[in-house]
Amino acid sequence: MPDINALKAEAKRILSEGMVDIVIGFKAGDTPLHPQPAFFKTPDEVDQLVYNALCQNNLATYLTRFPKTQKIGMVVRGCESRSVNALVFEGQHPREGLYLIGVPCDGIIDWRKIVEQTGEEVFSVIEQSDNTVLVEAKSGFFTLEKETLLHESCARCIHPNPISADVVIGELLPEGDPALACEKVAAFAGLSMEERHAWFRQEAERCIRCYACREACPMCYCEECFVDHISPRWTESGTTPAGMQGWHIVRAFHQTGRCTSCGACERACPMDIKMTYLTEKLNEDMRRKYNFEVGLDATTAPPFSTVTLDDKSRFVI
Amino acid sequence: MSETPKLVLFQCQWCLFAPADQEWVDTQLPENIHLAKVPCTGRINPLYLLNAVQGGADGVMVSGCLPEQCHFKTGNIAARRQLEEFSDYLNHIGYEQDRIRFLWLDLQDRGIIQKELAAFEAQITALGPAHNLATRAAEKVGGVNA
Amino acid sequence: MNLILKKDHLNHLLNAWRQEYEVYAPQSLQNFTHFLPLQDGFELAFDKAHNTRIPPKALFLPTSEALLKFTRFGGYEEVPSETAPRLIFGIRPCDAHAMTMLDTVFEQERYTDPLWKARREATVVVGLGCHEPCQTGFCTTVGSGPFNHAGLDAILTDLGEIFLVETLTEKGEHLFTQLETASEDQSMHASEVQQAAAASMPIAFETEGLKQKLDQNFASPYWEEVSRSCLGCGVCTFLCPTCFCFDIVDEAQRGERVRNWDTCMFRTYSLEASGHNPRPSRVERTRQRLSHKYSYWLDQINQIGCTGCGRCVRYCPVGLDIRAMLRKAHQLPSEVLHA
Repeated sequence: MPDINALKAEAKRILSEGMVDIVIGFKAGDTPLHPQPAFFKTPDEVDQLVYNALCQNNLATYLTRFPKTQKIGMVVRGCESRSVNALVFEGQHPREGLYLIGVPCDGIIDWRKIVEQTGEEVFSVIEQSDNTVLVEAKSGFFTLEKETLLHESCARCIHPNPISADVVIGELLPEGDPALACEKVAAFAGLSMEERHAWFRQEAERCIRCYACREACPMCYCEECFVDHISPRWTESGTTPAGMQGWHIVRAFHQTGRCTSCGACERACPMDIKMTYLTEKLNEDMRRKYNFEVGLDATTAPPFSTVTLDDKSRFVI
Repeated sequence: MSETPKLVLFQCQWCLFAPADQEWVDTQLPENIHLAKVPCTGRINPLYLLNAVQGGADGVMVSGCLPEQCHFKTGNIAARRQLEEFSDYLNHIGYEQDRIRFLWLDLQDRGIIQKELAAFEAQITALGPAHNLATRAAEKVGGVNA
Repeated sequence: MNLILKKDHLNHLLNAWRQEYEVYAPQSLQNFTHFLPLQDGFELAFDKAHNTRIPPKALFLPTSEALLKFTRFGGYEEVPSETAPRLIFGIRPCDAHAMTMLDTVFEQERYTDPLWKARREATVVVGLGCHEPCQTGFCTTVGSGPFNHAGLDAILTDLGEIFLVETLTEKGEHLFTQLETASEDQSMHASEVQQAAAASMPIAFETEGLKQKLDQNFASPYWEEVSRSCLGCGVCTFLCPTCFCFDIVDEAQRGERVRNWDTCMFRTYSLEASGHNPRPSRVERTRQRLSHKYSYWLDQINQIGCTGCGRCVRYCPVGLDIRAMLRKAHQLPSEVLHA
């Protein structure tokens, strides 16, 4: 957990020195479980800045909303810094126009896992130094292990430290184990075809097509999404099985070689639909086949934007 | 399986260099094979494949030019990367990867497409109809709210 | 009439109703609760959460439904829609109240939606009051309440071992013919519980004069401020019990005309065929959502178009809180010229 005062001081410094026009971070939310993304324009406003494990959004999703000429400061964790790198590679913002304040992140708490144990009515959540979380709820006080509350993507995170940040506040954490990341994919792939499909079907059929997953994702910045096309209509518009499955199949596939496994899509979903088992599979394939991980720098092209003759593909004769 | 499988053939317009083969594909393709001619396999968006799958295809065959013979230099190898990954990915969620096949044709080849299609059809017949992923035929309306 | 329903008698009663109706009640679906038809050996899930994740409006206006089928070369046929008698048990007063507002949309004098109307008429609604109101809810602020009667045929009050049943309509009375009448003490107890519940809910924001503030500040920078972190997804509106917007789409490949939920928070909602979009950004869309609920509904039916269920507060992916937004709106200056 980085020192919040150091974080504020740095944000104030870059604003007052005119290095950036705006700093994107979090502020305390109106409900205890949901800190809000916030946009600070003056050093005074920075006093509201907060950073804790309940900050569940990927702030890079806001980057594409600003004109490319704007100088933006952003508080970034490992996944966010990689998303920023990927966006810079895709020409969505010049790197010179960004100042990244990095914070090593030991995982985002999934608020759903808190309310599962405490009930819906939560009054306050306090992170304690011994890796526990003290929750005050209507049903009483709870001391919960932070480890058990982490969002699944965070539990298997490989890059907790910000990459290519301009400054890092807080002590760097040990890198995660890549084997951990593929464990889940391997376990899923080990199931039978029917089991895998049954899981996919059961997850997809809860979808209400609100597109929170799309909007929460920093890499989903298309002006017009494929589901918004009228003609040709790529997949059914409603919540029919084909429509919902089509959406989930293609949303994830469009992230191939671009997804940083931040899990913001899953955290945004109002129907608790699991989605990262799809993107993780694609990420794992990119790692295995092309030795590629997105966002480690802002210059390496993802596999789908390059071609080589010597792919090791089953389609090769 | 008693029914003949429904197949979709995505064909690059350059890959069948022999006029006789192209004419066969254009005019004598069996009824269970739906032809979608594309200017290059590189033009095939994975969404096309999804469309075929959701339209009820039991198998999808893509025929393109040999890697170094692409009319547009690299269209086919770009397609290879994407479509291979896409078929792998569909396999992950319930559409067997053997149902999607990429066929490379040499400009010198003659009379291969017929044999390959027959072999592919036999393979799909052995697999049986695709039944996992939902097709556009309405099963029911409305997800959790049906 | 006030009646007494013993809690251990509830399942028996539900099963009896199942002879006559298709009975929907909150049951667990994955991690949340949902109105599902009761099957043999059902388990109700009232303890898990106050409200079901998806509001019961979905039982009357499904996320998607086919309106008619057509073929490429010849005509069309209507989709048969038969609505069997249904009973919704355990609906919360906020959701039931919302349904009465949607009636004003779907059952107007000149234009009536036959599907909505048929479903409404075939459905009996038994509510369960909130003796322990939820923290994100603000029903008392917007003119509803934890024991509001609007839209209900009967309402239950949890008194520990028993439910006190108040039948509100003939349909409701018909359901509870076998029960014994409540004593005066029990009725007193219930009304105390009801009053205590309402009293325990703080006023979330001032509604007096709010409409004028919103109207007068149509061009205020306030809207940019409150919508800045909005993602532009449809969570708040899809989970809202009073949102009713839909889009009609021809699924040409399948040959069906379908009606899907739509929301003013989407870019495509107001996009015109020319490419022009009168609500080009999230600023205008947020303004539309808030103003519709807190200003335009007032013009139309003289009621706030929100029943304070609190779903939008609880499930907003970025933690936007409509209560805070409206508190802020109330601080706005009164006399602002339209830009």
